[in-house]
Amino acid sequence: MKPFEEQFTAWVDGQLTGAELADFEKQLAEHPEAAAEKDGALKLGKLLREHPTVPPLGNPEFFNHQLMQRIAAETPRPVEKKRAFFWSLPRLAWAGAACLAITLALFQTTIPGGAKHIDKSNYFAQVVENWPGNPNVSASTVYSADDNVTVVWLDGLDYIPATYALNK
Amino acid sequence: MRLWPAILLLLGLTGLLLAAEPPDGVMTLSIPKDVNRPLPGKVDHIWSGVIVATNPENPKEPPAELREFAPRLKRVFGYSQFELAGSATQAIDELTENWLVPSPIFPLSVRARRTTSKEARGGYLLNLQLFQEKRPLVDTEVKLAPGSPLFIRGPQYGKGQVIIVLQVQR
Repeated sequence: MKPFEEQFTAWVDGQLTGAELADFEKQLAEHPEAAAEKDGALKLGKLLREHPTVPPLGNPEFFNHQLMQRIAAETPRPVEKKRAFFWSLPRLAWAGAACLAITLALFQTTIPGGAKHIDKSNYFAQVVENWPGNPNVSASTVYSADDNVTVVWLDGLDYIPATYALNK
Repeated sequence: MRLWPAILLLLGLTGLLLAAEPPDGVMTLSIPKDVNRPLPGKVDHIWSGVIVATNPENPKEPPAELREFAPRLKRVFGYSQFELAGSATQAIDELTENWLVPSPIFPLSVRARRTTSKEARGGYLLNLQLFQEKRPLVDTEVKLAPGSPLFIRGPQYGKGQVIIVLQVQR
């Protein structure tokens, strides 16, 4: 069985008939205040039927767009920190110090030279130039860093037999 | 943000950079301290020797003059025995041509000029002319520091090799 409120609404709308109507009117007798509301309910029902609740929108998408824009404009935004156009003085000083530190580190580690790279060996023999005295002779310089030996290497010289005394 | 730690760091690092020793190739106005000059009244000498290098079955010990060089010569030339065929020493005279005759077969003409090169440690720029008897074999310009020998690979001799050695002695 339908609840009383539902039957009341159907009764106001004139949708109850036959046995259903008879039963409801019996119940209504027990609720005299409900019968008193019937006139008001009928007037309201007539009013609602005559005046549709939502007027149709001509451009619903445009309306939505306008609405969303207004909401966005009225919503307070989180305050953004203003970016400085240039660094402040302390930041510049720190950046300078960091650059210098990096330069020092690179200088010490990557650039050859400086005290630790100087050869401490006392050996020094540097051939500036060789001019062979004969077109058949070639002269080149050989330097062995491991042995500290510099050799002027002559090729194309005549063979000297062992019978030839070097110290006459 | 406090500024002074950054400024102190900056000053410290700048000081370190300025105090750092200049690398090789950087021009400095200071006179090198480790340039050895002969004492007043002392004269530098140039010594030369003619070495015969061979590979006998039983190599002999090198003579005293060559003991210092023998291990290096072995490695560079590949011979096991080194004998001194002759040697000569001459006081260096920067004004004239110096003649060294370690062997009459291999006379040497030497013109010496003191070099200001730091690495040469007060050594000489030498213009050498090596002869084989009267034939010039090679002209060489060389910077030599005292105690640093220069070797010249000469002709093949018998089953061995002639090597001429030259050294400034202080």
